[in-house]
Amino acid sequence: MTAGTLSLANVHVRRSGRTVLRIDHLEIPAGTFLGIVGPNGAGKTTLLKVCAGLIQPQGGAVRLEGLDLTRLSAWRKCALRRHIGYIPQVTEYNADLPFTVREVVAMGRTSIRPLLRPLNAQDRAAVDHWIDAVGLADRRKQTFRSLSGGEQQKVLIARAMAQDPRLLMLDEACANLDFHWKHEISDIVERLYRQTHMTVLMVSHETGVLPAGCRRAVLLAGGRLLADGAVRDILSPAMLHRAYRAGLTTMSVGGRTHIVRAGPFENPQFESRHRDRGQSDSHFGTSSDAAGGGS
Amino acid sequence: MRQGGAPDMDPFFYLILLAGAIAGGSCGLLGVYLVGLRLPFVGIFISHAAMAGTIYSLLLGLNPLWAPALVSAGAAASLAAIRPEKSRLDSNVALAILFSLMLGLTFLGIGLVQGSRSEVLGLLWGSILFVRKGSVLVISLAALAFLAFAFAFNKELKVLLFSRTIASATGVHETFVYALFLALCGVILAVNLPLIGGLMIFSLITNPAAAAYQVCRGHRAVVAASLGLGVASAVGGFLFSYYLNLPTGACTVLTSTLLFAAAAAYRTLAGRAD
Repeated sequence: MTAGTLSLANVHVRRSGRTVLRIDHLEIPAGTFLGIVGPNGAGKTTLLKVCAGLIQPQGGAVRLEGLDLTRLSAWRKCALRRHIGYIPQVTEYNADLPFTVREVVAMGRTSIRPLLRPLNAQDRAAVDHWIDAVGLADRRKQTFRSLSGGEQQKVLIARAMAQDPRLLMLDEACANLDFHWKHEISDIVERLYRQTHMTVLMVSHETGVLPAGCRRAVLLAGGRLLADGAVRDILSPAMLHRAYRAGLTTMSVGGRTHIVRAGPFENPQFESRHRDRGQSDSHFGTSSDAAGGGS
Repeated sequence: MRQGGAPDMDPFFYLILLAGAIAGGSCGLLGVYLVGLRLPFVGIFISHAAMAGTIYSLLLGLNPLWAPALVSAGAAASLAAIRPEKSRLDSNVALAILFSLMLGLTFLGIGLVQGSRSEVLGLLWGSILFVRKGSVLVISLAALAFLAFAFAFNKELKVLLFSRTIASATGVHETFVYALFLALCGVILAVNLPLIGGLMIFSLITNPAAAAYQVCRGHRAVVAASLGLGVASAVGGFLFSYYLNLPTGACTVLTSTLLFAAAAAYRTLAGRAD
């Protein structure tokens, strides 16, 4: 069974003469909920776009459901991507156009139907189903642009789900949302994951929005994969230091792991060592270790 | 155009009105996608590609209708190769550079024309008052072709308008549809150019669609309103010009701008009626 599987081998992406992503090996079995975390510029979005075939790497193989995306023709790539639900960052969609909520969700059915075939009653039923499922039944005739940021994210999730995705990719879906909406969106993603057992790739610079169901995450920094494992395990102080170059630690609240600044309250031991040694670089490995994450 | 009073309109003017309505409607429909894609510069680039194509066709003795249509369609379709996410340049900056290239070629062509240059200079403002039945037939066919395309690829075009990234990531044939759309843009603009001119085409593409996006809810409403406002701009502009004895091109541009201002004012006064 290869539906929803993804694997990367020796992938590297260069931009302006600089390596922005280098992944030697990453295997994502079907039904995995993978969190992709790391600081700004770590290569999280690049990794997601490579996985979706939006960025062609300079080398390596990206196998989606057993087929190498880097070697497929544009037409075959389209066919393969029909079951990828993709939720981009807010700058990558046009929220100013007066599309209704129903029209935006119906876009999820576009690639399901062949060219020149309009959507049918079955598609319309699926659209209404997913609008109801995300709790926007009373907003279906409203325009997308009139909704709040959190509601817009719900519409984008409904659009992705209307595609019957085997793989759902979310790029900073909780960015720019308040505390309530961050958790609402995160809870919806987790609920849908538990209901469908699809593969989920969720990019976030905030680990606190990764739901409890996210049992595996990768930590990126400088385009390199620093750690791969359970969320709490990969966010050790040493790894956090390598990734963020700052005194950070984690705090578990309600089954979610948050990265917080290491201070007297969170980590008295770290604070005292930091004060004694005077230089943060010397706490966890050498400075060349820290640079290992860079390119 | 006329001297004093409000005379009965000569039957010939009905042909002009019909040509104006078709050209305005075509540009209004085209504008829905060009404005929605935030690429109104595509319109001005393609119209100048068509203008350059027409001038060089005249210079080389080629068919003055199909040769420029092919040139502008080809130039337009090649724009599909510009991928904002792969380019360091903003799309509009890249288009502005291409536009300046087309403008340079156009004026070089004008400079190379021997004898009277009135025919090529007419391409700037168009010559709708000298329209022929054959031209009306050609722009009608082009308009129908674009209407059929917009209807057939409606679902793909909507995703393209919303997000090319989503379209690409989720298996929509966006490059194919986008290239086809741009090629048809080239044809529409090339065949309308001799009638309404390169400068007026730009306002007929931008203003009706921008007005429709201000006041409408839902894509279908935007398409209908933009098409209607395009027709109203062209026909209204011509009627203003006829009854007020003013230049047709200027009246059309000002009518379309007034319609946009009215839509913007309505949206402001009525609040966000979404």
